[in-house]
Amino acid sequence: MKHVLIFLFWLLVAVVAIALTIVLGERGAWYFAWVLGTVMIVLIAAAGTAIIDARYDEHQDDQY
Amino acid sequence: MQELDTVIELSRTQFAATALYHYLFVPLTLGLSVLLATMETIYVITGRDIYRQMTHFWSKLFAINFALGVATGLTMEFEFGTNWSTYSHFVGDIFGAPLAIEGLMAFFLESTFVGLMLFGWGKLSRGKHLLVTYMVALGSNLSALWILVANGYMQNPVGSVFNPDTMRMELTSLPDLIFSPEAQAKFVHTSIAGYVTAAIFVVGISAFYLLRRRHIELAKRSFRVAALFGVFATVGVISLGDALGFINGSAQPTKLAAMEGLWETAEAPAGFNLIAWPNQEEKRNDFELQVPYLLTPLVTHTFDESIPGVSDLEVDAEAKIRDGIPALTALKALRENPDDAEARATFDAHQDNLGYALLVQRYVEDVSQATDAQIAKAAADTIPPVAPVFWSFRVMVVAAFLMMAFLILAVIYSLRGTLHRHNGFLRLAPWMIPVPFIANEAGWIVAELGRQPWTVYGQLPTWLSASTHSVGYMIFSLVGFVLLYTLFIVIEMFLMVKFIRLGPSEDRRESPVEPTQRHSSQWSEA
Amino acid sequence: MDPYILLKVTWWVLLGVLLIGLAVMVGMDMGVGAALRYLGRTDGERRAVINMIAPHWDGNQVWFILGGGAVFAAWPTIYATAFSGLYVVMLVLLWSMIVRPLGFEYRSKLPSDRWRGAWDWMLFVSGAVPMIVFGAAMGNMLQGVPFHFTWNMISYYTGSFITLFNPFAVLCGVMSLALALYQGGTMVMNRGTGVIRERACRLVTVAGLTALAVFSICGIWVSMMHGYEITAGGDPAGPALPLNKTVETASGAWLANYVAHPALWLVPAAVYLAVLGGIAAARAGLSHLAWWLGALAWAATLVTLGAAMFPFLMPSSSEPSHSLTVWDASSSLGTLGWMLAFTLVFIPIIAIYTSWAFWVMRGKVTPESIAHDEHAY
Repeated sequence: MKHVLIFLFWLLVAVVAIALTIVLGERGAWYFAWVLGTVMIVLIAAAGTAIIDARYDEHQDDQY
Repeated sequence: MQELDTVIELSRTQFAATALYHYLFVPLTLGLSVLLATMETIYVITGRDIYRQMTHFWSKLFAINFALGVATGLTMEFEFGTNWSTYSHFVGDIFGAPLAIEGLMAFFLESTFVGLMLFGWGKLSRGKHLLVTYMVALGSNLSALWILVANGYMQNPVGSVFNPDTMRMELTSLPDLIFSPEAQAKFVHTSIAGYVTAAIFVVGISAFYLLRRRHIELAKRSFRVAALFGVFATVGVISLGDALGFINGSAQPTKLAAMEGLWETAEAPAGFNLIAWPNQEEKRNDFELQVPYLLTPLVTHTFDESIPGVSDLEVDAEAKIRDGIPALTALKALRENPDDAEARATFDAHQDNLGYALLVQRYVEDVSQATDAQIAKAAADTIPPVAPVFWSFRVMVVAAFLMMAFLILAVIYSLRGTLHRHNGFLRLAPWMIPVPFIANEAGWIVAELGRQPWTVYGQLPTWLSASTHSVGYMIFSLVGFVLLYTLFIVIEMFLMVKFIRLGPSEDRRESPVEPTQRHSSQWSEA
Repeated sequence: MDPYILLKVTWWVLLGVLLIGLAVMVGMDMGVGAALRYLGRTDGERRAVINMIAPHWDGNQVWFILGGGAVFAAWPTIYATAFSGLYVVMLVLLWSMIVRPLGFEYRSKLPSDRWRGAWDWMLFVSGAVPMIVFGAAMGNMLQGVPFHFTWNMISYYTGSFITLFNPFAVLCGVMSLALALYQGGTMVMNRGTGVIRERACRLVTVAGLTALAVFSICGIWVSMMHGYEITAGGDPAGPALPLNKTVETASGAWLANYVAHPALWLVPAAVYLAVLGGIAAARAGLSHLAWWLGALAWAATLVTLGAAMFPFLMPSSSEPSHSLTVWDASSSLGTLGWMLAFTLVFIPIIAIYTSWAFWVMRGKVTPESIAHDEHAY
């Protein structure tokens, strides 16, 4: 039961997100672009940095 | 008249000074808050302590900067009332709304959570602290959103109409105001400019550590995250800058003409003035170096549209002034007798150009008596000071491309892991830190000086907007602000440099109560 | 009822809520700042006191900023006229207030005694001065301010700034500072221990009694001063233009609302009960109760003021018919409506996360606990 409720909650979040996206995409195209762009920048920067640790063991010297 | 002009000029100087001071700190807050959230995201996902130290170190510098942003922002919230009371009455019904919403939606969020972000490390779980940091980032950027919605109204007044019964502009549509293209593009441009500012700040300081072989693990990761963050942001900031220019083309042709140094209407295909020496007196460029064909596609996004120059814009303005004069005369009649149907009909027919009549009121109290010479003078006033706008614009653009090139190199070196072989680049990086700040200030000048002679474009002239203070009061307050703010900046720079030199250290306690805990060997200069 | 009248009155109430929020939350931190040198004698004690409000002063200060923004949106004519008329007073307020963020943030960054001592004085000034100015501004509203408008609504202030600091206004300023010290004292009692808590308790007693004494004097003064009344025009549903009415002044006119509605006398009575009850609670160690009673005292004080002046907001002493009232200084119907919608949505959200922030940072702060905390100021 708990899992169903959690699932339903996230389903609701998704529906709200889609509704907001439609409204924002319609009237506020640049605002929408900002939301998407910021999320993208944050994720790429985070992922690109975390790679350093994936390679960490190969590069024990002070190369950077 | 002489004294009025002096008071206006002093009020403008004071507003420009306080806004430019404020704007030294704001972009770093906007960007660094998002960058901190990015760093902390890596910490929460990977669980590696180095990212916690990283977030912690940069949030210390964030706090030093944030305090001054808050302090200088406090006065801005009230400065419209203290120094621009006629403006505040004239558009307060519209302009006040985004400012109030900014307080409700953004300032409370940002300020409440910044306390938790800085002091809540030991009291919150990782996930909750991350959420708090995101709320700070969201709050600071929402505050930029609402202040730029307000500013967008000054640039391109939509969603409002003048009400002769209350003698002011009144709101007709809040959604129109919020979703005005000017406001949208301005917000994204400004917010992302903040990202770039923060990225260059972090890259520059990280490079300083790498060059000195200090805190290498922390610095190389900070360098990487900021460089990646910044390189996408510079692309965004430049494309949004182009979008803003495009929107200006229709909303504020006088600003565009000043930005490009266009004295005569540019028939397609027009050349782009790379360098020029604008001469406002003679309405021409004393010297110009052009890139042929470039301007038309750049500004109009077509190959065949023409771009109006100063001389044609002045002709337009003159027609608008003549059309607006009956509106102002009728408005005066309406004030004496609100039931005067004829006056109301005249007002309604001409009210679109009421603002232009107010321009000529500067030279003659009863505008119906305005001479051709006075109208021509008022029409010439509609052109902003070309040279400073033209050059500020170029400074901003050059800075933007410089930062983009710098960040692309930074990303390449960082991803290849070859930074340690490029000492020249690392040595250059700290010197890049002032560049985004210069670009931000130049952008403010383009936007606000380019809007002159209006406070609200086409509606309310600057000369009519200020409070009716004496020259003495204005000198007193201007000197007070400059002295106080300069002192603040000196203190802030001193602390900033001190804490950057000190650098991050896991074991070092902030509190000098326990100086023995410092591992001096760890952060002394190698 | 005409929706415009309803919205105007609603926004008058919300203006009151805003001023109460500002006075309680900002006043509390100001009181702590102003009493810092008394509450903490050693550097460790002072740091403890500062860190009691460290996570919250910034959020609390937003009440002040929101005050500016909300007055701009809902009462633009007040925003334009009051802040420009009271120019030098506003400068004193702003200049003293902007030192405060730096005082909190920078004070403990360097170990030097002179550095910290200087910032402690800054925190004193930036705590005491704004509260005096806040009270003095309220006092000036009661007395009326010399301003008038031209036909096109350009406002002119014709007094000197010295008159803004007249004896009555200064007395109101003292009242405001005393209540702030009371509120700050209860906050420090909540989160402090030992000698700091004892000093805070003494501060609460002295400040509370001072506030009551000054409140009584101000009350008698107001009953004898010239109040304002609308004698013609001033249609509640009319357009927001303050030029279409006749206003006269009369001695004791500020009591007219109290005479018409005797139940209002309960409000000033509540000030006495709240402060006396608060002092008793503080001395009995119930500092949280004392804090809430202090908030009630602030609320009752400002409601006392508002009830006396209604419908006036900012009377003009030089051109009474240009006085700003609830009926003619507001923004348009549309703006008031939109702003009410935003307020109704966001105030509950703000209340929730602010409470959460206070809850997360709850607990005692002692000189020992912060000495080992690298995140403290």
